[in-house]
Amino acid sequence: MMEKKEIYVLSAKQISVQQPLCEDWMTQPIEYQQPFNRSIDPSFKDYISPIEARRMGKILKRAIATSKEALKASGLETVDAIITGTGYGCIENTEFFLEALSKDGEQMLSPTYFMQSTHNTISSIVAIQMKNHGYNVTYAHKGTSFDSALQDAMLQLRLGKIKSALVGGHDEMTETFYHILKKGGMMGHDDEMCGESAVSVVVGTKNDDYVCKILDFKILHKPSMEKLKAVTAELKADFVLTGISGDHKSDEAYLSEAKELFGDAKLLKYKHLFGESFTSSGIGFYVAAQCLKAGKIPAHLFVNQNDVTDKKPSKILIFNHSDETNYSLTLLEA
Amino acid sequence: MDELIYTLKQQIIEALNLEDMKPEDIDDNASLFGEGLGLDSIDALELIVMMEKNYGIKLKDPTQGKEIFKSVAVMADFIAKNRTK
Amino acid sequence: MTDRILITGAGVVSAIGCGKAQTLDALLNNRSGVGPLVYLKTEHKEFPVGEVKMSDAEMRKYLNISDKAITTRTALMGIIALDEALKDAKITPEMMPNIGFISGTTVGGMDMSEQYYLDYVNNENHKEYISVHDCGSCSEMIAEHFGRFASITTLSTACSSAANAIILGANMLRCGEADIVVVGGSECITKFHLNGFNSLMILDTQWCRPFDASRAGLNLGEGAAYLVMETEESARKRGVKAQAVLSGYGNACDAFHQTASSPEGEGAYRAMKEALQLADIQPDKIDYINAHGTGTPNNDLSESQAVKRLFGDKVPPMSSTKQFTGHTTSASGSIEAVFCILALQNGFVPVNLNWSQPIEGGVVPVHQPLKKELKHILCNAFGFGGNDSSLLISKPEL
Repeated sequence: MMEKKEIYVLSAKQISVQQPLCEDWMTQPIEYQQPFNRSIDPSFKDYISPIEARRMGKILKRAIATSKEALKASGLETVDAIITGTGYGCIENTEFFLEALSKDGEQMLSPTYFMQSTHNTISSIVAIQMKNHGYNVTYAHKGTSFDSALQDAMLQLRLGKIKSALVGGHDEMTETFYHILKKGGMMGHDDEMCGESAVSVVVGTKNDDYVCKILDFKILHKPSMEKLKAVTAELKADFVLTGISGDHKSDEAYLSEAKELFGDAKLLKYKHLFGESFTSSGIGFYVAAQCLKAGKIPAHLFVNQNDVTDKKPSKILIFNHSDETNYSLTLLEA
Repeated sequence: MDELIYTLKQQIIEALNLEDMKPEDIDDNASLFGEGLGLDSIDALELIVMMEKNYGIKLKDPTQGKEIFKSVAVMADFIAKNRTK
Repeated sequence: MTDRILITGAGVVSAIGCGKAQTLDALLNNRSGVGPLVYLKTEHKEFPVGEVKMSDAEMRKYLNISDKAITTRTALMGIIALDEALKDAKITPEMMPNIGFISGTTVGGMDMSEQYYLDYVNNENHKEYISVHDCGSCSEMIAEHFGRFASITTLSTACSSAANAIILGANMLRCGEADIVVVGGSECITKFHLNGFNSLMILDTQWCRPFDASRAGLNLGEGAAYLVMETEESARKRGVKAQAVLSGYGNACDAFHQTASSPEGEGAYRAMKEALQLADIQPDKIDYINAHGTGTPNNDLSESQAVKRLFGDKVPPMSSTKQFTGHTTSASGSIEAVFCILALQNGFVPVNLNWSQPIEGGVVPVHQPLKKELKHILCNAFGFGGNDSSLLISKPEL
């Protein structure tokens, strides 16, 4: 096993159903009553020229805005790698193309819808915007899409192949696709809220003025309880940020596992504010990083109100699973 | 011809999603690609689809577009001569 | 690179056959699998394609998968290729909980979504297929046919997806995150991307002609391939032999245009150069380049420029194998990596079929049968968005 280099989060930015590109959710969270919501978008004019933006779907504009903000906040001129996670990719253009194909047939289809339907459009558009020729890939693996992107960055940072990476987690959701996914049992369970996620973080080995440190990281597929216990024994933290979402079956798995895995650690949640998506674990990463930076955890993130404390968090473990199949665990330190 | 040119400008704006533009903003003889409107190869493909939809003209070779899409005036002239609807 | 990454097993399915034996036979005998469209339901019969010569139902039967089971064509082809790779490397189900699985795909379950989309929107029919639309589900269906891997992830970088799965696997081995990884990709032809490529006007209505002056586009293909890669220590412990070594790899972004390559092939040049640097090998040691060579006017010229920048006037023998299989998109990186392993083992350069006249300023490909000992091969896979990757595959004993 190779020596684990210190890896830092240099910046973290989001566009979601909370106020975009800021941390207002810490003090003034927006609450939603309905299960389907789209993100609150900033003005994109500051990030993309209108002629460039005219063919871009929302997911692309958000990716460019969060990426540019994250790069600026990182203090770096450029990054060595651009790595993106997205569960469904550019679903809005996919929908347009599928709809045209299904209704109008196989003639006179728009090339724009097709070329902006592939998952890797996001990472490549960010690279084109930043004129970045470095390592560039896209992961599309359900609830661990963002985590896979982060894993790739961590491996290469440890190997010394790169010194910095822009890691993104991006998913959009249209009303039509939300209803399709609900019909397929993928979304809209019980009290679960659907959200869109756009998260960009810069990670690197540079260590002046950082948001927090990444101590360790694991992705597991259908682990046994023994395996989970062995892994979490190495990832001790005072706070565990879970993916509790309002989906009763999924939440029950967190709550029952948490007791066995984390003992007395205080449980936190974030999806009640940001919603569920394939890359919501990226939002979780952002939330934990910002709490460590701020040195406090807002009361409305605690699962049990009895646990609320002013104590400055030193370590937060982010614990997500999707359908109790793919698990990701990320340990951050202030 | 003037009517065709005006309609064509509206169709170009719609096909290429040039939201902030009006037909009056496009010069009949200004080049659509490169320095003029600044369109690219994907716009050319969109214009090919647009011509087929609205005028029944089918281009087989995308490089033909280079000549036809020189300006709105050239395009209108080509459409007037080759339209099937 | 300090620790060698050994390739100890491989499996493949494409238009030229099911398994390595059929594939080798077709490559040696210049037998293309590209022909008129048979299996995909589409209006576009004018485009030749490289289909795997089995219907979904025949694949289900071949794999003993029930007619009722939820699956997709991409998953079925993936299972066929993975089965061969695991057996080839003597991987048993008990070993899988310590092995990482990494697969590349872009269409995922689109073959079903494009058939049932209006049902998904309007009624309850076929709703059981909604959950297999995404790329990750596809990888999980392939993996779970065999057991439980330690981790599963999915690369989706269009036509370089499988090559990037190989690169991630190599980095996992070098970092000590795993001792064995299974890497590759799978992709079936869908109406969605056949029409998409058609909307970009880059499909040829004739048999494709990579690196030929008259080339007019690509033929779509499909297939899957997986490699088992492991550390030397792991292979020694298990008593398995290396078939080849992944001695280098590079990934770079062209950062030029979403669907076109830059005229000077910047991304391709950087990816190949990085692969050579990682292996610490000079360009003159490369014996063969398996080009991305899709047959589009843009790719072949751009790739030629990149190769000439790196190799100067000493360009090694180069060929595209897309005339055999069609462009197998997300799976092409691993399918062609298997072709390279077969070429290394059997001492031949696959012929760049259907070639007659050089591109002005382009590379002249190998267009006659060529037998020679190969030690180092560069295998290129480039994707939309300028996601360019290059793999350096070498003989285990040099």
